[in-house]
Amino acid sequence: MDNRKEQIQEIIRRIVSRDERGIEMLLTHYGPLMRYIIAPILSNPADQEECLSEIVTRIWYKIGLFDASRGSWNAWLTALTRNAALNYRRKEQALLKNRHPQEIPEDMASAAPTPEEKMLQAEQEEALNRALQKLSPREWTLFYRKYYYLQSTVQIAAELGMTERAVEGRLYRLKKKLQKLLGGEWHA
Amino acid sequence: MRNADWDRENKSSVSSESEAAFDRLLAQSIPAPPEDIIAGITPWKKAMNRALTGIALNCVTLHFLYLQYLLPAIGALLCLLGFRALRRENRWFRSCYALSLLQTVSLLFRLILNTTIYQQAFYASTAGTALSLGAFILNFILFFCLWKGLIAVKEKAGLPPRARGAGSLILWYLFVFLLALVSYNGLIIGLLLIAAYIFILRSLFRLSKELDEAGYGIQSAPSRLSDWSLSLLLSLFLLAGGACGYLFFDSYPMEWSPAAEAESPDLQKIEEHLISLGFPEEILADLTAEDLAACEGALRVVTDVHEYPFNEGRIVQEYREGDPELQLEAGYYQTTVYDVRELTITGIAVELPGEREQWKIFHHFLWTVNPGFCGTESIQLWPAYHLDEGWANGGQLSGQLLYDKDGVTFTSSYHYLGSQTYTSQSIFWGPQTSTDIFASFSLPNDGERQRGYISYLTEEAADGYIIDSWCNYTHQQTWFQYPVQTAIDRRMAGAFNQNGAFLTVQDALQFYPTEEEINLY
Repeated sequence: MDNRKEQIQEIIRRIVSRDERGIEMLLTHYGPLMRYIIAPILSNPADQEECLSEIVTRIWYKIGLFDASRGSWNAWLTALTRNAALNYRRKEQALLKNRHPQEIPEDMASAAPTPEEKMLQAEQEEALNRALQKLSPREWTLFYRKYYYLQSTVQIAAELGMTERAVEGRLYRLKKKLQKLLGGEWHA
Repeated sequence: MRNADWDRENKSSVSSESEAAFDRLLAQSIPAPPEDIIAGITPWKKAMNRALTGIALNCVTLHFLYLQYLLPAIGALLCLLGFRALRRENRWFRSCYALSLLQTVSLLFRLILNTTIYQQAFYASTAGTALSLGAFILNFILFFCLWKGLIAVKEKAGLPPRARGAGSLILWYLFVFLLALVSYNGLIIGLLLIAAYIFILRSLFRLSKELDEAGYGIQSAPSRLSDWSLSLLLSLFLLAGGACGYLFFDSYPMEWSPAAEAESPDLQKIEEHLISLGFPEEILADLTAEDLAACEGALRVVTDVHEYPFNEGRIVQEYREGDPELQLEAGYYQTTVYDVRELTITGIAVELPGEREQWKIFHHFLWTVNPGFCGTESIQLWPAYHLDEGWANGGQLSGQLLYDKDGVTFTSSYHYLGSQTYTSQSIFWGPQTSTDIFASFSLPNDGERQRGYISYLTEEAADGYIIDSWCNYTHQQTWFQYPVQTAIDRRMAGAFNQNGAFLTVQDALQFYPTEEEINLY
């Protein structure tokens, strides 16, 4: 455990002092984790590699934002990687929209949210948080795999030792449960 | 009708749109995952932890509460499930999967075999030794493949190709193998094994840590059958196999045939003569023609009958007056009363004419009440010449089994009748090697008056010794025992414990023959 902490501190120290070996170490030890998070969000391998480069650049410049008192290195890296991959996807979809204005992807991100929208989103997050507290640990894992890591049913099934059908069934029941728990607080 | 269809389609489209919108909202509003979720969402942790836990369980043998069977069974299943998920990653993990599959099949075979009476004979055979050795070698190859598989995963992730945990596991297994090879059982063995087990746990912990970084690069393999379904399927197979073992392979195959009734006038004469000497008529009818003929010219007959209960009886509390002679105080006393005594054992000795004094001994048993469950039975004989004092072996070991059904008598020879040399454990004297006469057999469940006898001839070797012939009858009371042991194996183990599946009663024919009289003890 101590070795791991020392290793993280070493990576941070090197990146802060602009030592490129810090990036090498980061990719060696945390490249597999970052790739694991990116892969379900970006299906194209070339996009995955480009996105990884962007994330590494972001870490290079924003390493100062990491605060060990607010969460673990893995949690920070996970959030950073996921958000970067999602942004990358939005950017790609926006480009696609400009090229083919008639095709509008369903999960395409809207323009920057208004203050009202921001407030509504904060309320929704709070309501969802309350509902999540009522889920079992198994349901939490499934929920995060699906909605945070954006993993496919196939990947979830393989990693949890279930059939795709069973995963779909559980996700369906989980969604119904959440809808019930959220009740009138949250409308799609 | 069209409107209804349109409505349904419209509703379904609205519903799927709203589902998709709900999905989007969930994805947008989801808070950052807590630390335990971040640590838990990996492609390898579950699979690897299962495989490692499986290995740990496979390596421990705890001989109580059936843990020696349960832990390896759970271990094999966990290994199978773990390596199944990792099988697509590299050829070494694929080999681990194939090996764990082989291990599971071999274990299932052994677990099912244990529900049959053939298990002890199988393990004593070359095939049994090969299977045990094979299981050991399989484990060794599995550890090797695991070590190579971990190295391959680390190489793929660009990490130093080292997997010391797996390497030390191989060394530990070699150490255990060497201990087994030299049959090391010194006093220090317990401490060594504890140290070895701590070592293996440490190795497994290190193995798990080795994948902390590289493990995210592992591709889990999808399966058509979920882990739960596979576990259920294997458990059902085990249960069905076990049920077949208990149902069809829990007793000896006996060759019963209707008893031949032809009787010659000579044999009839012998019969009449024996009856006149006091030979029980009912038992006489159970003898084979050869045994009957061997009693020609009988001089004397000694008979001793005992009845034995095979039930718990009932507890009776009664007031008894004091008896100063017996130093018995007045008060309430509890005794066990047996209303039914199911087994009758009759010891009969027939003196035969000859230069030297010789007796043909019969030990006859009769189930007056159906014994209930009929698995395997055994008779252990300590003949009069057992202690080599005064009496010598005259040979002629014989006997047969009988039962009645619908007015017809069926007979069969014993499944085994002869001498066996065996080593049993005595709590007082340690391992003891003995040679005794044994009969092993199974009785039919649907018959009546199941009975049989064993007979032998003994000759006087020296004057002044009593005839002391013992018959230990072992009856299997219940089908449930794991692993299945036969009554004869039970007796050879030297166990007299009455709480298990078997119950043994001891009967003895003891008398001192003089020319004038017979003193029965």
